[in-house]
Amino acid sequence: MKISVNFNGRNVDADVEPRKLLVDFIRDDLHLTGTHVGCDTSSCGACTILLDGVAVKSCTMFAVQANNRNITTIEGLSKGDELHRLQSAFIEEGGLQCGYCTPGMIMTSAWLLSNNAAPTEKEIRNGISGNLCRCTGYDSIIRSIQKASSDRRGGRK
Amino acid sequence: MEATERFVRGQGRYVGDIELPGMLHLAIIRSKYARARLLRVEGGISGRDLSAVIPDVGEGARGESWKIKQPVFATGQVNYLGQPVAAVYADNRYLAEDLMDSVDVSYEPMQPVLDEQEAMTAEPIHPGLNSNVATDQFIGKDFEAKDAEVVLDDAFKIGRIATDPIETRGILVNYDGSRLNVWVSTQAMFSIRNGLCATLGLPITSVRVMQADTGGAFGSKSAMYPEYAIAAFVSMKTHRPVKWLESRKEHLTASRPGRGVSGSMKLFAKRDGTVIGLKGEIIVNGGAYLDGLARFSPMFIGMQLTGPYAIRNGYVRAISVVTNTPPLGPYRGAGRPEAAFFRERMMDLLADELKLDPAEIRIKNATDQVFTNPFGMRIIGSRQFMTEAFDSLEYYRLAREPNGRRGVGISCFVLVPALMEGESCKLKVDNGRIKAWLGGNSHGQAHEVFVRKLIGSTLDVPTGVVDVQPGDTDMITSGVGVWGSRSAIVAGYATVLASQMLKEKVVKTKGLYTPEYLLAGNYEAEVLNEKFDDPSLNSFGANLVTVEVDELGEVTVEECRSYYDVGNALNREMVKGQIAGGMAQGISSVLYEGLIFAKDGTLLTDSIASAGVPPARELPHFVTGITEHPSSLPHGAKGVGEAPTIGVPPALVRAIEKATGVRIRNIPLHPEVLIGPEK
Repeated sequence: MKISVNFNGRNVDADVEPRKLLVDFIRDDLHLTGTHVGCDTSSCGACTILLDGVAVKSCTMFAVQANNRNITTIEGLSKGDELHRLQSAFIEEGGLQCGYCTPGMIMTSAWLLSNNAAPTEKEIRNGISGNLCRCTGYDSIIRSIQKASSDRRGGRK
Repeated sequence: MEATERFVRGQGRYVGDIELPGMLHLAIIRSKYARARLLRVEGGISGRDLSAVIPDVGEGARGESWKIKQPVFATGQVNYLGQPVAAVYADNRYLAEDLMDSVDVSYEPMQPVLDEQEAMTAEPIHPGLNSNVATDQFIGKDFEAKDAEVVLDDAFKIGRIATDPIETRGILVNYDGSRLNVWVSTQAMFSIRNGLCATLGLPITSVRVMQADTGGAFGSKSAMYPEYAIAAFVSMKTHRPVKWLESRKEHLTASRPGRGVSGSMKLFAKRDGTVIGLKGEIIVNGGAYLDGLARFSPMFIGMQLTGPYAIRNGYVRAISVVTNTPPLGPYRGAGRPEAAFFRERMMDLLADELKLDPAEIRIKNATDQVFTNPFGMRIIGSRQFMTEAFDSLEYYRLAREPNGRRGVGISCFVLVPALMEGESCKLKVDNGRIKAWLGGNSHGQAHEVFVRKLIGSTLDVPTGVVDVQPGDTDMITSGVGVWGSRSAIVAGYATVLASQMLKEKVVKTKGLYTPEYLLAGNYEAEVLNEKFDDPSLNSFGANLVTVEVDELGEVTVEECRSYYDVGNALNREMVKGQIAGGMAQGISSVLYEGLIFAKDGTLLTDSIASAGVPPARELPHFVTGITEHPSSLPHGAKGVGEAPTIGVPPALVRAIEKATGVRIRNIPLHPEVLIGPEK
């Protein structure tokens, strides 16, 4: 089926098999490999992207369902060399170890902060509970999100 | 670009991200039964095409042989759910999975033996063996504790757990006509190289293994696996690159899980709380095929049973058995958490029996000087550490608070790091920069940070001139791997020695050392660690946990605190990150995780969620306390990675026991135990 999708601000026209998952389309056809696969039950959130600004697990959708939608992947979050404040905060606060859950975690965090500029710790814990991290125990991830939140309110991009 | 920046940008290069022209995708047809006769396999690649066995490499490898080795493909009989039976390949993963239906397999199911205690008396699972018992040895020396005033016995069980890194296993093999070029998600690239060579009968020089970015491992990525041999075989057969990526369900059935141990303990003590001796029996569930780890594990657990205490008599029967479950692998701690759980449960029981404070009874049994236990394990004085630990953890204050449905638990342990020789570092100075290669590389521990720091401080150069290279078996002579809380110690030491060697080379050519001379020249140094033994490397740790348990048996962890002697912390933030992540695993290994099989061998926990990897809302904030008593090595490092999975479970279980009044013997713990009629 022919689809037209806006990925990270760029229009992509493609002919895809109806059964192809969005995550596989992103990874295999667009070669945007920052979106990861960590499970087969939509439990881990490593494949999280933004669909029209909303965090979605891209393994729960077919590529054809993204027709005429706007998708942001981790590669579209930074502006060239300039990191998004969440990306900087994850580095500064040690919000990652192996790095595998990180892109999905950051995309979910971006959505979280877009809805709630100053979430409490509890709101952050709940907000990221669709994303699993096996390395950090989450404390450093929560600190990273808090830092990005206060950076934004402090005027940092 | 720094690894962390690549990761936050989505520019990691995990094995799944690597594409080669003409690449094939492999899919594995796996046994549907835990135990069955394999009547027919038609189609795909199977044991008829590739008849080979998996060698003993990776963590715990002992180079011993046992007659039942894991085959690459099952033939005749399948012995665990998920065991590879056949394989197919195609141009993409969708097509490969479609092709799985073209393979016809007939089984005649048999009753599986799943549990280690059941295996002791059940009929042998492997034809040709007399029993499921693979090792049965006594360690220590039998004793009669005639002066014992208290004798306590109890029995415990720790269930199997999947390691569940968020990135599952994966491999890409490209046979170029003469060599196998391998990219793999691993903790031990040399184990994979040696494992592939031994399985396929290839010379060492014909395989090059490159470690891709590795998305966590926790023990399961050091061993050789059948799928790696199959990918290599197909690449050699087709002369095309072959990729295999494990699904989560495959991870839960066919990657090596950890734990699975029963222990009976008998403790002899005086009424003042002095422990005179300890007897025990350890039975390790080795899974369907045993290698060094499963055979070594019961002895390793037994050897640590005295922990940080000066217990002079010890006698342990150490058994490993085969069962119809996946072969045992290491999971963060690998024997250390089992020993701590059995021992600390007995110390709490003794405290209750004598109506003494658990902290008091632990300090009473500590030692002030170097102590060699009845099994040969050596520790330095532990009393001062324990005294400091209970203060730092605020145990006395928290224990006095009114409790109701709340409870406080503490634990003490020794972290015995894996110090086997042969860890390596190679340094090359060229064009004003220093390139560093390690034999064992990061899968989330940020080796590059401590390597740069140690090179910088030893050679007096800015850390910015050091480039830590990805793992590649062609670039360094040999190496061991990353497990057993060893890297800061052994890889750190190799880095210091290699740096010193560079210094000597500069002195030899220039008459004296300056950083400028070094960076202006071309120098190379490579070091393989020799074995060293220093009891201070067996480091101490203590944990405190407080919980609240509701009337339905739901446990809420309120406080989870550590006090670990980490030696000279090479990077304090990384150390604390390791501790927090490990404490999360310590909690979930008690409350949430576990691989649960039905009686017929069906896996009931077949998703990452049902296997219990917890999200943020189920975990508390962690208090990561450390103390730094340097080891005798030049860089003063000790281990840390496994400390939390050793120390947290016994402290958590004790806290729950105090909150509910229910004695806890088995983990993972199910809420119904806490509210059942026996209460």
